[in-house]
Amino acid sequence: MTYNRTDLGSGIGFTSIIDSKFKTCSIAVYFLTELSAETAAVNNLAVSILTVSNSKYRTYAALSEKLSELYGAGLSSSTRKKGDAQTLCIKASWLDNKYAIDGEDIGGEMKELLKDCLFAPNAENGAFDEESFRIVQKDLLDNISSELNDKRAYAMMQAAKIAYRGEPAATSSYGIKEAALAAEPKDTYRAYNELLKSAQIEIYYVSPEKDDSFAEMFRESFKSIKRAPKSVVFRNHSPLKSEVETVSEEFDVNQCKAVLTFKTDSDDKYALKMLSIIYGEMPFSKLFLNVREKLSLCYYCSSTSVSVKGSFFVDIGVERTNIEKAKAEILAQLEEIKNGNISDEELTSSIMALDNAVLQIGDTPSSYIGWYFDCFCDKDLITPEEHFKRFTEVTKERIIQAARSLSPDSIYLMLSKEVRA
Amino acid sequence: MKKETITSQRTGDSCVHIKHDSGLDIYICEMNGFSGIDALIGTKYGSVNTMFKIAADSDYTTVPEGIAHFLEHKLFENEDCGVFELYAGTGAMCNAFTSFDKTCYLFSCSKNYEENLRILLEFIQKPYFTKENVEKEMGIIGQEIQMTNDNPEWRVFFNMLGCMYHAHPVKTDIAGTVESISKIDAPLLYKCYDTFYNLNNMVLSISGNISADKVLEICDKYLKPCEDKGLETVFPEEPLDIVSSEIRETQPIGASIFQIGYKCKPASGIELLRQVAAASTASSLLTDPALPMYEKLLKDGIINSTFCGEVFYGNGYFTVIFSGESESPDVIRQALSSEIDRLLTEGINEKDFQRIKKSTYGMMVRELNNVEAVSNLMLSAHMENVGPYDSIEVLSELTNSDVTNFMQNEMQNDRCVLSVIGKETE
Repeated sequence: MTYNRTDLGSGIGFTSIIDSKFKTCSIAVYFLTELSAETAAVNNLAVSILTVSNSKYRTYAALSEKLSELYGAGLSSSTRKKGDAQTLCIKASWLDNKYAIDGEDIGGEMKELLKDCLFAPNAENGAFDEESFRIVQKDLLDNISSELNDKRAYAMMQAAKIAYRGEPAATSSYGIKEAALAAEPKDTYRAYNELLKSAQIEIYYVSPEKDDSFAEMFRESFKSIKRAPKSVVFRNHSPLKSEVETVSEEFDVNQCKAVLTFKTDSDDKYALKMLSIIYGEMPFSKLFLNVREKLSLCYYCSSTSVSVKGSFFVDIGVERTNIEKAKAEILAQLEEIKNGNISDEELTSSIMALDNAVLQIGDTPSSYIGWYFDCFCDKDLITPEEHFKRFTEVTKERIIQAARSLSPDSIYLMLSKEVRA
Repeated sequence: MKKETITSQRTGDSCVHIKHDSGLDIYICEMNGFSGIDALIGTKYGSVNTMFKIAADSDYTTVPEGIAHFLEHKLFENEDCGVFELYAGTGAMCNAFTSFDKTCYLFSCSKNYEENLRILLEFIQKPYFTKENVEKEMGIIGQEIQMTNDNPEWRVFFNMLGCMYHAHPVKTDIAGTVESISKIDAPLLYKCYDTFYNLNNMVLSISGNISADKVLEICDKYLKPCEDKGLETVFPEEPLDIVSSEIRETQPIGASIFQIGYKCKPASGIELLRQVAAASTASSLLTDPALPMYEKLLKDGIINSTFCGEVFYGNGYFTVIFSGESESPDVIRQALSSEIDRLLTEGINEKDFQRIKKSTYGMMVRELNNVEAVSNLMLSAHMENVGPYDSIEVLSELTNSDVTNFMQNEMQNDRCVLSVIGKETE
């Protein structure tokens, strides 16, 4: 594998990863910007509309037809929350030319298609095409509505809203319904031009063979854009509430959900991650072995460390009558760690699990892209091996300190109606 | 021991198939340049296998719904420790799943695959069921069932199957119900284990950064030969007609969802692959954003980007399903029916047919680029009694008229079911 990052100028990075084992080529264009309830939805629309049509393929039907002619090439957009920032992404992937049955230049055609999507979108008179806009607007509104369809994800989202109230990270990466409803093709086009101008932009290209023409295409295309990139803050610890806040909602559900949020002032992200693995991320973790296996209270009970926000979540699906019992055991297991009850086996297992995960980075194009993009956001470009080495340096004492740094902040409960107390 | 190398003429990919002396079928794919290793061992035993016998039995045994899934949970517990603990010592990720027609145990790792494979082969041959450990599992699986009952995607699917199948056990939830699993005990689990976890009924599939010789060496050492006991599974007779054409329920959700399923004749072996290729192409045509039906539904705000099609099949069942989010699923059902009529009357445009074929080919080649996908592909193909690369060959031979004939014979309005999970009204 060869890795090379080139600065295309004005806060635009182009990373090329060449790995001969792949049969496909992939590209990801990331826009990094601040997260806010006012702009998240319109930013989302601005990026997703680029995958629906462009100035050459003016309808979704025409663009889809072209992509399927290119052996089912993929073109999609996504949005994600990273700390207090919003990351928006356009991804494309296609079969390497050597697998084209009729000798087509799939890569060359995809380069042109991407260029049109990003730099010659389907817009006139300062507004995106109305029909394409209505498609993505409906999609976004439906995405926001369907957040309740997945009860576990919804509970986690509500917990984040409560924990981060008043902070950018309280907003969902989709943004809010009101802003999505109010958006128009003109505002959305303006938002896209603002992203082209001021967002930090990172581009990743993964291919089995070296091809400089993609970097060249981006360099040329950005020449006409007057860039003024704004810095984006990812790390921003969320303040601890003065009193633990509990918020509950009742639904006609069979299983209740509970999410316990803790806050920490620790910046030791490696120790916090090790703590989370020992506490609740794996089948050998304390929460799995005790809350699930020993007490049979749940099917899942797991923890997540969000170090960029100085927060730590535990989520569980449980019978309403067992919520208090489960909470008591979750807190008791945390106390165990605070008191130093971490075995050598738990430490070794955590390190081995991390080693296993780190070594698999590079087995898929998306794992390469994810790895290097995370490094960029952390402003810490290291190899997966170096990352792993830092975990091996985490001592038991640092994990205990990380556990002791956690303070309860808030609780979200999704309660079933039929067994109301 | 019989050993053969299987090669795809189209892509050049290859793997090794071994019929091991123990009775186990083994598929190995060495993938140069990849770091990861994925291994699955699976038995042809899923939630639909509720009635069975072996040659020595005089009568068929009928077992409670959800027992295959229950057994999967319990096999993770050895007499002295849990399997998760064993894998914690190697760093591998391990898991298991039960589907309608198979149960699989798997690990994914990038180091110590020899030791991980040893653990896998040993624990699937070493059941340990007791009254206490069976009772302990009731609460855990009970919560898993409650969780899936709150999942609208799961409910809309099983509601559809319930309207489609009169007697076939595919209509029953894989995990069973809280009531059905309460009838499960240790002797019943041993009965199912002894019947289905015979190596002659199982397959090992392993891919990635491995040596085929090393894998075989470990298999030779740890696999205990099994006598083929003449397993027979039976299913109740299932007519081709449906139970009812519609089911609607509400749940506390934010976006209403639907599934529209066409009940088709089941198939097996290479005929199954041909039917899957024809059905998948029909499904792709009917959900193709480039074609007028999709374009109109999208423009009218009836569908969004979640609208898609899939083919769902197994032993004794075969269905083409269309699903997505919509507040007007009846309009979609009508549109599908009209579009099928149009395609049958006007014929499928050859350009569109070739385009869809190309797109499917691209997806199949991409699958061969992924360690996990390759191990899954080899295992699934074996369970369907075909070779790992046969589907690419079958696709290349697929004709426009194969798809027309499939739609003509199988996608009929009187075998169509609409299942809806709507939003609760205040």
